Amino acid sequence: MPASTSFRDGLLAAVPTLRAFAVSLAKNSDRADDLVQETLVKAWDKQGSFQPGTNLKAWLFTILRNEFYSQMRKRRREVEDSDGSIIARLSVHPSQDGSSDLSDFRRALALLPEDQREAIILIGASGFSYEEAAEICGCAVGTIKSRVSRARTRLQQILAIEGEGDFGPDAISSQVTNSAVVA
Amino acid sequence: MFNNVGRDTGHEKGMTYRKIEQNQNAGELSATDPLGSNSEIGRKLKQYYDELISDEIPDRFSSLLSELERQESTRSSADEE
Repeated sequence: MPASTSFRDGLLAAVPTLRAFAVSLAKNSDRADDLVQETLVKAWDKQGSFQPGTNLKAWLFTILRNEFYSQMRKRRREVEDSDGSIIARLSVHPSQDGSSDLSDFRRALALLPEDQREAIILIGASGFSYEEAAEICGCAVGTIKSRVSRARTRLQQILAIEGEGDFGPDAISSQVTNSAVVA
Repeated sequence: MFNNVGRDTGHEKGMTYRKIEQNQNAGELSATDPLGSNSEIGRKLKQYYDELISDEIPDRFSSLLSELERQESTRSSADEE
């Protein structure tokens, strides 16, 4: 009983980061929550195959990722059978598209292919090493490195095109800088 | 009066110099860590993810785990009988 209680605590503690990863993959918060739920149920059932002391977070991310891709394959088959209306529902959830200055970044991220998006999230945001990310994605470390690098270049391109000058100093701060130099 | 201005200017110059030094270090760091805190993309990525992480967690996950735990304990007590 104490063992399963700490396993439960471990799962619960991982929920916020699992959700963040799920939203990044699914680009839709309702689908993301379903993915997290499915991940928790699967993890609970496979509890015996988890080795205590190893990386629980990486193990959970692997389950969630597998679940995402198997759902996507299923959906793709459904889409092929229907008129493609599911594609429309896979678009970015409006509630994620708030007024914050991150909305451009979110849109840019959503434009990346899945393999690049997951790689840059795992490395740049979820805090995994290249080795861990490679294990989660079931590919070589070099593959993760090149996906991250392509993702980064693509994001820079998209953001530069969408908001040129946005990242430079604004009018007020450049005035301050200039006057400081003059003084 | 003039002394004060002079002192302030010297202070400003000191600040500017330190800033340039920091930026040079930032360049070296971002070359080795392309998504480090000195890269614009790296910073945005963390900001984006932190915002998602700080979202309120729906109760459904905690309830789900309690339910799984409950099922397991009823199952194991049934096994014992």
